[in-house]
Amino acid sequence: MSIKKNRFTIENLENVQINIGRVVSSHEAKESEGPTPAPEIHDLRDWDMKLLERYEPVYSPVCDMCCYCTYGKCDLTGNKEGACGIDMEAHQARETMLKGLTGTAAHSAHGRHLLNNLIERFGEDFPIDVGPSNLKAPLTQTIMGIKPETIGDFIPVLDYIEEQITQLLATAHTGQEGSALDFESKALHAGMLDHMGMEVADIIQVSCLGMPKSQEDTPLVDIGMGSIDSTKPVLLCIGHNIAAVAYIMDYMEEHDLFDKIELAGLCCTAHDMTRYNENAKIVGPMSKQLKYIRSGIPDVIVVDEQCVRADVLREASKLHIPVIATNDKIMYGLSNRSKDEVDDIIQDLISGDQQGALLFDYEKVGELAPRLALKMGPIRKEMGITALPDDEEFKKLTSSCSQCGACVIGCPNGLDIDKAMEAAAGGDLTLFEELHDKCNGCGRCDFECPKGIPILNVIEKGALKFIREEKGKVRIGRGQIGDPEIREEGRNLVLGTTPGIIAIVGCPNYPDGSHDIYEIAEEMLQRSYIVVTSGCSAMDLGMHKDDEGKTLYERYSGRFIKGNLLNIGSCVSNAHISATTIKVAAIFAGRDINGNFEEIADYVLNRIGAVGLAWGAYSQKALTIGTGCNRLGIPVVLGPHGPKYRRAYLGKPYNKDKWNMMDARDGSVQNVEPAPEHMLISAETKAEVMPMLAKLCFRPSDNNLGRMIKLTHYIEMSEKYLGVLPDDWYIYVRSEADLPLAKKEQLLKKLEEEHGWKIDWDKKKILEGPTRKVDVSFQPTNVPRLVKGATE
Amino acid sequence: MADEFPFEISPMFEGERVRKDDMYVELAGPKSKGFELVNAVGIDEIEDGKFTLIGADISEMEEGGRYPLAMIYRIAGELVETDLEAIVERRNHDFQNYIQGMMHLNQRYDVWIRINKDAIAKGLKSFEQIAKATMMLFKNELTFIEKIEATYITDMEKVDEELAKAMDKYAARDERTRNLHDEDVDTFYGCSLCQSFAPTSVCVITPDRIALCGAINWFDGRAAAKVDPEGPQFAVEKGECLDETGGEYTGINEVAQKLSGGEYNRIKIHSFFEFPHTSCGCFEVVGFFVPEVDGIGWVDRDYAGNAPNGLAFSSMAGQTGGGKQVMGFLGVGINYFRSPKFIQADGGWDRVVWMPKHLKDKILEDIPSDIVDKVATEEDAQDITALKTFLTDKGHPIVERWSSEEEEPAEDEPITESDAFSMPQVGIPAFDPAMLKNLTPMTGGCGGVKVTLKNAKVTIDKVILSNQK
Repeated sequence: MSIKKNRFTIENLENVQINIGRVVSSHEAKESEGPTPAPEIHDLRDWDMKLLERYEPVYSPVCDMCCYCTYGKCDLTGNKEGACGIDMEAHQARETMLKGLTGTAAHSAHGRHLLNNLIERFGEDFPIDVGPSNLKAPLTQTIMGIKPETIGDFIPVLDYIEEQITQLLATAHTGQEGSALDFESKALHAGMLDHMGMEVADIIQVSCLGMPKSQEDTPLVDIGMGSIDSTKPVLLCIGHNIAAVAYIMDYMEEHDLFDKIELAGLCCTAHDMTRYNENAKIVGPMSKQLKYIRSGIPDVIVVDEQCVRADVLREASKLHIPVIATNDKIMYGLSNRSKDEVDDIIQDLISGDQQGALLFDYEKVGELAPRLALKMGPIRKEMGITALPDDEEFKKLTSSCSQCGACVIGCPNGLDIDKAMEAAAGGDLTLFEELHDKCNGCGRCDFECPKGIPILNVIEKGALKFIREEKGKVRIGRGQIGDPEIREEGRNLVLGTTPGIIAIVGCPNYPDGSHDIYEIAEEMLQRSYIVVTSGCSAMDLGMHKDDEGKTLYERYSGRFIKGNLLNIGSCVSNAHISATTIKVAAIFAGRDINGNFEEIADYVLNRIGAVGLAWGAYSQKALTIGTGCNRLGIPVVLGPHGPKYRRAYLGKPYNKDKWNMMDARDGSVQNVEPAPEHMLISAETKAEVMPMLAKLCFRPSDNNLGRMIKLTHYIEMSEKYLGVLPDDWYIYVRSEADLPLAKKEQLLKKLEEEHGWKIDWDKKKILEGPTRKVDVSFQPTNVPRLVKGATE
Repeated sequence: MADEFPFEISPMFEGERVRKDDMYVELAGPKSKGFELVNAVGIDEIEDGKFTLIGADISEMEEGGRYPLAMIYRIAGELVETDLEAIVERRNHDFQNYIQGMMHLNQRYDVWIRINKDAIAKGLKSFEQIAKATMMLFKNELTFIEKIEATYITDMEKVDEELAKAMDKYAARDERTRNLHDEDVDTFYGCSLCQSFAPTSVCVITPDRIALCGAINWFDGRAAAKVDPEGPQFAVEKGECLDETGGEYTGINEVAQKLSGGEYNRIKIHSFFEFPHTSCGCFEVVGFFVPEVDGIGWVDRDYAGNAPNGLAFSSMAGQTGGGKQVMGFLGVGINYFRSPKFIQADGGWDRVVWMPKHLKDKILEDIPSDIVDKVATEEDAQDITALKTFLTDKGHPIVERWSSEEEEPAEDEPITESDAFSMPQVGIPAFDPAMLKNLTPMTGGCGGVKVTLKNAKVTIDKVILSNQK
C-alpha cells in the first residue's frame, strides 16, 4: 500500500517522539526572514543597478564574434547586431555571466557532492560547529534568511542555489535578454550564489571532518616539490573535494601508513587534506601539476574535481602511474570498477592492463589507493621512470633549439624560454631556474616547438637542482574568523591602526611568477594591513623566504588582527572572507542580517575597507568569486590576465554626480569622494597594484584616523613603487586631520599652491577646498529605504 | 618637512625590530638607564624647535655600544595643561617607531631604544635629527602644542639626576589619575569614533569610566577634544546630576539623544540594568545577568568556554553589541573593573558572582578584598547549581539578597513553592520583561494554543492506516 498525497487523520499515537529543534513565535519567524529571503534574479536587481551605475561595466572582447547558434557566426563589431538581435555589450556580458555561472556551479556542485556524502556518513542532524561564532553561516543567513543549525539545514540552501543556476543558465539561450546591464545583474546574482555554495561546502566539512574551527594557531605544514620524500611510495591527490580523500587518510591512519607512504596533495584538496590530517604534505598549486607528474615521482594519482588538468590520465599513463578517478566531473573514459573487488582492481592496475579506474565506492578508494601505492612504489622506483631527459639528452635538446621564439609567443606569460635554452646549451642553468619559478606549468610551449622539443620537461630538468630545494611552510587553513577576534580587531579598525584588509586569493597564473604576491603580502603586512589568503595563493605565499630563511607564515601569526597573515583554507573557504564583512555589520552595527542582502552590501560598500587581489586568476571560479565580492560591496583587483574575463567594473571619479550618497539620518544628499573607486579592475604590474590596493581601502565612512592612515599608505606606496605622488591624493582629503602626519606641512602647501585650497597657516587648518566636511556620524547609504523614517 | 631627514618616517616602520646583529647602538633599556618625559610649561619659557644635547651624540658613540638616554620635551600653548602631559608623552613611542631604523620599546622609565646600522649608513648621526622629527610629529598631530623644545641627555650622571625628578613627576601624575573622579570634573568626553562602523554607538568617557574599547580614557578624550573640538572626541558638559549612584547627567542624556539619532535619550553610566551605556562591538568584556542568583557574571573575549549560564562570550556578545542599549547585558573595558564606581547602581562588586579565572587574575588587586574570594571562576562553578552552592558556601553578599527578597514577596505575586531553591523574584526597577526573553525559559500556555510545525521532522516507527468510515 502506498500513502498518497492527501489529508489523513491520525487516530492514535503511541510512543511517538517528535523532535522539535527550535520553537519560534510566528512574529519572530516572520521577522527572521528579512526583506529578500532566497532572492529571485530580479529581487536584488535594484541594488545591482545602483552598483552598475557607479561602477560601469567596461568590456574587453576577447572574441568579437558570437557563435552560439546556427545563424552565426555573427560579427558584432562596429555596432552591428547579431542574427538574434544581440549587440556586442550584451553578448560580452552574457559570456562573462556564463563563465561565472560555470564557476558557481563548480563550487555548488562540490558542496552538493560533499553534503550528500557527509549526510550519508553523519546524518542530517549532525550539528554545525564552526568555532566561536554567534553567526555560524553569515552568507546563508544574509541570503536565505534562515539560521542553519545542522548540516541537513543546508539541503534547501543548495536546492535554492541549483534552481537559481538553472534559471540563470536559461537566460543564455539565443535571443531573450538584450540588456548588458541585466546580464551583469545576473552575473552578480551568480556570484552571490557562489559565495553561499562555498560557504555550505566549507562549513559542512569543518563541522563533520574535524577541521580547524576558527583557529588562529594552526600548525605549519611542509609545502613544495622538494618537501616530498620520493624514496617512499608517493600517493598524490589532485583536486578540490576531500570526500574520497578523507577515506584514504582514515585508512592510512588506521593502518599506520603515514610513515610508509608519502601522502601529498596538489591544489585545494591539499589544503583540505592538511586541515583533516596534518601528516599530509602539499606539493603546491595547480601550476605544479604537470611538472610533478612528469617528474615521475608520484606512484599513484587520485583525482576528484575542479582544477585538475584534463590530461592527467594521458600524462600519467606514459609513466605507468595509475589514476583513480572518484567523481562524476572527471572520468577520463575509465571503466567503472565500483562493484569490483579491491584486489582485482589492484591487480589490473599493477599489471598495466588498465591505466586507471573509476571508483565511486569511497571505502574502496580508501583501501585501494594506499595499498596500490605500496605496491607501485618499489616497482616504479626500480624502473626509474621519469619524463625528464637525462643530462646528455638535455644538452642535445637545448642545443637543437633554433631560437625561433614560437614557445615565447605560445607562453601565456611570454617567458623568455629561448634565452634560457641558449644559456643552458652553454652550460648556464640559472635562466632555467628563474624560468621554472615563473612558469605556470601549462605545457602549451610543448605544442608550439617546431623542433618537437618537450620544452616543459627541459625547463624542469634545467631547474632540477632548484626544485629539489623547493621547500616551504604553510599554516594550515583556519576556517572562519571567530567573533571574538573580530570584536578585538574592531578597535584597530576604528582607531585607524589597521588600514584595511587585503585578501590575496585565487589561482597561480601570475604574470611574472609567484614572488610578486609574496612581495605584495610582505609590504602590506609591514604596513599593518590584515592579509587573508586561501587556495593556490596561500600555497605560493609559503614558498618564499626572507634572509633568515623564514616564510611569511613563520614571521606573521594567524590571528585576525592588524599585520597578521591568515590562511583561511581551500578555494571554498573564500566564503569566510566575504562572510567576515557580514559579521562586522552584525557585530558593530547590530544590523539584522536575515534575508537582508542589500542593506548589508550597502554597509560593506560604505564602511569596510576590504579589497580582494586575485593576481593570478585564471579560472571561472575565480571570476565568480570576484563577482560575488562585488555584489557584496567588496572591490577586487585582478592581474594583467584579468581583461580576458572580458569585463571590468570601473568607477569614473570625474563623473561627480555618480558619487552622491544619502545620509541615512535625514536623507540629505552628499557628494562624496570616489571611495572605493572601482569594483573590478586589472593592474598591469606589481608596482601599480601596491598603491591601488591602498586606495581601494578608502570608504566614505572613514573617520579621520582611518583616512589618515589609509592616505599615508596610498601616498607612500605610490611614491615608493611608481615614484610619484598620486595625482588624485587630494580628493581624499576632507580635513587637515586626514593628512599623513609626517608630510602634513608639505601637503598643506601643495593643497594651497596646486589646488587653490585655503589654509589657515597659524592653526594649520584647511578652510576651503574639500568636497565635503568630515563627519564621523555621517551614515552613507545608497538605498533610499534605509533612510530614517523612509516608508518601504 | 619630511625630506630634511636622512630617514623615512612612516607607520610602516612601527613593527620594525632591531636585532643585536643589526644594531648600531642601544640606548636606555634594562641594562642601562633612561626615561622619557613631557613637561607643560609657560609659552614664554621655551623656544620652539630648540634642541639641547647633554652628553655624547650618536656620531661620538661606539658601534655596538650601550648608553643611557633621557628625552625631555617641554611643550607650551594656550590649551596646553599638565593633565595632557601623559597623553603627549605616550606618543613619543609611536612617533619614534615611525622612524626607519629606530626601535622604541616601552614607556616612561622603561624605555629601550635601538638604532640600526642601516640608519647610520643612510646619514643619521645626531640625536638632533631624531628629536626634530619627533617634535614635528608632535606638533602635526597634537595641534594644541604651539611650541616645543627637547633636551636629550646621554650623560649618566645627569640622567640619574633628572630621572629622580621624573620619578616624582610620574608619581604625582598617577596620584592625580587615581584621585580624579566623576564629581571632580565639569566635563566628560564623548567619543563617536566607532560610528564609522557602529552608527548609533555613543561612548561616554568619564574619570571613572574608560571607553569600553579600553583604548581611550578621560585624559585622552580631553587631549583629542583640544586638538579638534568638533572632532570625534568632544567635550560633554555634565549638566545636572539626576542620579548620583547610577551616574545620570542631563548633559549625557542630551548627547545620547542627539548622537543616537533619537534611539535613546537616557544613559546611566554606572548602571547595569537601568538605561545602561550602549555597547558598540569591541568591548573587552561582556557582563550578563544571571537571574537564578540575581547576580552579574562577566566573560571576556579570550575565554573560549561557556559561562555558567551555558553561553559563550560570542553568543552573549552577539546580543549585546551593535551600538544599542541592551538590558541584561553590558559591554565594558577591562579598566572599568578598576573604577570605584563600577556598576554602583546595582550594588557594585557585591553583585558580581562569576568571571573567568584569567580575567579575575588580571584585576585581582582591584577587587575589594572582602569579595575577592567570593567571586566564582570556571574552576569553582561551571553551571548554575554549582554557582549557587559556591556563593552560599562562601557567604557571597548576594545570598543575603535572596533571603531578604524572599521575606518580602511582591504583593501581587503569589508565592510559589520550589522544592530545591527558593528563587528570588528578580528585583530590577523599570525593567522590561521582554528584555529577558533570552534568559527565562519559555513557559507553555494551555488551551487555545495553535501549534504550527515548520520544517519539523517527525520520526515514526510505524504508521497504521485505517479507512475512514
